Amino acid sequence: MKFARTIAALALGAMASVSMAFPAAAQDLIVIITPSHDNPFFKAEAEGAKARAEELGYTTQVYSHDDDANKQNELIDSAIAAGAKAIILDNAGADASVAAVQKAKDAGIPSFLIDREINATGVAVAQIVSNNYQGATLGAEAFVEAMGETGNYVELVGKESDTNAGIRSAGYHDVIDQYPDMVMVAQQSANWSQTEAFTKMESILQANPDIKGVIAGNDTMAMGALAALEAAGRNDVIVVGFDGSNDVRDAILAGKVHATVLQPAYRQAQWAVELADKYLKEGSTGMDEKISMDCVLIDESNAGDLETFALAD
Amino acid sequence: MSNATATAKSGSTDNTSVLLLLLKLRTFIALIVVTLFFALMAPNFVSVANAIIISKHVAINAILAIGITYVILTGGIDLSVGSIVGLTGMVAGGLLAHGLQLPMLGIIIYPNVLEVVCIALLVGTAIGAINGLLVTKLGVAPFIATLGTLYVARGAALLLSGGATFSNLVGKEELGNQGYPIIGSGNVLGIPVSIVILVVLALVAAYVAQRTPFGRKVYAVGGNERAAALSGVRVDRIKIAVYMISGFCAAVVGLIVSSQLVASHPASGETFELNAIAAAVLGGTSLSGGRGLIGGTIIGAFVIGVLSDGLVMMGVSEFWQMVIKGLVIIAAVVLDQLQRRLAASNG
Repeated sequence: MKFARTIAALALGAMASVSMAFPAAAQDLIVIITPSHDNPFFKAEAEGAKARAEELGYTTQVYSHDDDANKQNELIDSAIAAGAKAIILDNAGADASVAAVQKAKDAGIPSFLIDREINATGVAVAQIVSNNYQGATLGAEAFVEAMGETGNYVELVGKESDTNAGIRSAGYHDVIDQYPDMVMVAQQSANWSQTEAFTKMESILQANPDIKGVIAGNDTMAMGALAALEAAGRNDVIVVGFDGSNDVRDAILAGKVHATVLQPAYRQAQWAVELADKYLKEGSTGMDEKISMDCVLIDESNAGDLETFALAD
Repeated sequence: MSNATATAKSGSTDNTSVLLLLLKLRTFIALIVVTLFFALMAPNFVSVANAIIISKHVAINAILAIGITYVILTGGIDLSVGSIVGLTGMVAGGLLAHGLQLPMLGIIIYPNVLEVVCIALLVGTAIGAINGLLVTKLGVAPFIATLGTLYVARGAALLLSGGATFSNLVGKEELGNQGYPIIGSGNVLGIPVSIVILVVLALVAAYVAQRTPFGRKVYAVGGNERAAALSGVRVDRIKIAVYMISGFCAAVVGLIVSSQLVASHPASGETFELNAIAAAVLGGTSLSGGRGLIGGTIIGAFVIGVLSDGLVMMGVSEFWQMVIKGLVIIAAVVLDQLQRRLAASNG
């Protein structure tokens, strides 16, 4: 009797575990691919997309291509093999990614691009991009105003092979160059890196001690420059960044950084998932392929409302 | 001195021996040449403040290169140092920001800065020991063993925070863990702490290499491993020790870098190993082992450091900086080969 009960329990248990295993596989999969999560910006993107997709009843797989177009290509192969229903992608290069996205399309998997564009249309279903140029002009205007429209400044540029590094720099200069008394005494790439921005800023400070401001292509470089300025006892230099990270938010609230520009990464990724959901259910997103999201200037007036690349309403 | 002896040996090769001397001093001459060049070309290059800044930047690479020189002297290589820089920085940052969490006991211990430093140094040395054990006891080629730990340590650094940065590592008074930024931005008699660390490590490393039995064994293992083993050197122990030294040096750099930024970033230290190997090679360390000096490595690190800082101060683009650095490394190795051939033919 006791034995039979044990058998029955075991059988029930086995059935339960089998039936547990199946519904998960039957759910639709969304694959999310972004650059490395060691940058909190991309981590926020991935988390935003994952959270929204799971709310909408999808299973998710989150990967990072580490800005390596070849690795991205392999990840898309894996997504195709895994039978993904849609891909949310922050790509590894405007030209280098076209073929991989096309491959997904040929396999019947729609791609929804965020943050960075690709140099082709009709391949991805949607490309939602922050308006980096508009954001850069916002940052530059705040920078010029804080500088009093005059003085020597330094620009730290992002990785020069990255499209956004060039767009942001162009946006900065289209504003700043209108003021003849604003003089750029040094322009260096610090490859988006905090460590590199720190060492380069220290050297630049030696060559040009008479600087009044630093404008950086992203927040990690702004934080590196800030550390170098603080080490040199220069608390008078105006620093402006780009991205809207929590570190720079805290520095703004502490009065160390003047301003940054928020790209709504979290919201953008969520929106891409919503469009994917609509496309899968209705066959169309109902919107143009290219969608631009405006950036927001963050300074001491609104920094308190910023959390993980999202501004509280 | 060596010029005089060479001349005494054979008067007919006078020109060759002068050339040989110049080649021997090539790294030092290169350092003088690049320094003079930037003194003329870069604004405000010649100043005490700039010399200190350059030395501070060089310290990071030179400390790594000291450890790597020991490994290369035994005929090995250590590719994992950059990742150890990242991991030890993250260990220190994590302990300062979030403490040592023991969920089993439900407590969080906040070690003070000295304890944090010791733990980070232990972690670095332990990874070095793993490298050494892989190379000796399991017979894995040093290139592959340390390539493996390069990935493992980098992955571990990312896992510690889920990829995030530990920032604002100033400590809290109530936790008793203040003072971490001193390593990166503090001064001793006007000299930054990182430079003091470099000087102390370089002197100790040079003394150990030249004047102790351990140092002689390191050279012996790299010169001819079999002969060393036959004459009673415990080769495995020497090899494990040099990887531990390298791991320790990398941990020191991990602490300096994260302390300078008052933040630990898991990707910190990427490609540092290549700069350190370049410094050792520039300084005349032979990649096949048995030949090289700590002093040469330090000068090699200064050549690279003066070059990169000077180019930044001149406003040269990042792309040209890379090209120039590469050409200097190639030139150094070509000159090294030339010197060896000349020395061989000169008897």
